[in-house]
Amino acid sequence: MECIMQGIIETQHVEGLAVLLQGLCGSQRQAVKIHDLCLKSGPNLGQVPSEMHLMCDLSHQEPRWIVRHVGGAMRGAGAEQMPALVRSVLNCRISNNALRFFHSLGYKLDHELLQTGFKFQFHKVVPITVSVTSVCKIPKLHMIEEAVPITPGLQLVEVSASTSGDNYTEVAAAVSGLAEQLAP
Amino acid sequence: MPVKWLLYWQPGSAGQVSGNILQEVMKSIESLNVTRGARWEAKAAQYRPMLRDQNLPADFARDLQSIFFSENPSKFFFILRTEHMVVEADSNVQDIMERLQTYRNRLTFVFEGYQYQLGDFNLKAGRAVLNGESIRGIVLEVEYLPVSSIEKSRTLLQEFVELWQDVISKHSLNGKISHLEPPFGSYLLSDTYSWQHTAVQYTNMMTHFLSQRS
Repeated sequence: MECIMQGIIETQHVEGLAVLLQGLCGSQRQAVKIHDLCLKSGPNLGQVPSEMHLMCDLSHQEPRWIVRHVGGAMRGAGAEQMPALVRSVLNCRISNNALRFFHSLGYKLDHELLQTGFKFQFHKVVPITVSVTSVCKIPKLHMIEEAVPITPGLQLVEVSASTSGDNYTEVAAAVSGLAEQLAP
Repeated sequence: MPVKWLLYWQPGSAGQVSGNILQEVMKSIESLNVTRGARWEAKAAQYRPMLRDQNLPADFARDLQSIFFSENPSKFFFILRTEHMVVEADSNVQDIMERLQTYRNRLTFVFEGYQYQLGDFNLKAGRAVLNGESIRGIVLEVEYLPVSSIEKSRTLLQEFVELWQDVISKHSLNGKISHLEPPFGSYLLSDTYSWQHTAVQYTNMMTHFLSQRS
């Protein structure tokens, strides 16, 4: 499971936010460059349609592939009280033939995005990641060099942490507390 | 990673595999100066796609297999035989496949038995059981610890298997050890041995046992 809060920031203020984050975190920022491929099940495959994401982390010398499944968000009265979104998420490392594999299983590429920017790793109660990224669309199939920002003047800020089933209240509070420090 | 060869017991004419034969094979190994180790297990499965409407065309993989090794619990392997593809993932990929609900387990093969150490060799002897019910084969695995090159270890492993065959023959077993040459080349696997090579060997063996009459 994951607790997450998302917001946007004008591109002109990104470096200011980076300075604030560095001051709060005390460590260097890490580059983010992720090619996100959203795959959906083909017609007639599975009792209900399904989707997952193949994320290729391009920030290292060798690309690293992860398959990610995002489930539904927590619902109900308890969820409405939560300061952060709590949802089911599974991440799993996978070999670099994953795209061909899922295509052979009957999954089709629905859309792909490139996220570039930076992140900081905090430890407040639990490990929390704050990332600031530009989300780009890829006009030609897999041509990430030609990616263009979907919203050139705005970037996405995400504050997220993993949680188990029994500590999400605590984790959501920690995520929310950190996010409040970043609000203008 | 050291090279492993996966072998199987080929019964003599009119013979069948059984738990008794496995016991005799294990006794023949234990007659050597071996150190007996822990039990081992590998679980293989074959899947079929789940279709919403059986009458509609379904251009999906029909030969999806998987394998999990108790010795390497953090990893899980998928094989697509027609595509000659082996995929390696963290073992929680099973949870993702469960949530996607697009492929259903059609049958399960469990390879299980005991392992032994004999100098530079690790040996395994065990049975292959289909769906928890019938023994479909007896498998033997030999691992040569000093070498990770498949080609460089070939001659030595062949000689070891011949010696092992001689030892087993002295125990009056009607049959022989056979090596199923694995199709590493068609899977584009390198000469350096890895868990992906082991995954191909075991799923290849499962397919072989399934093709034999029970």
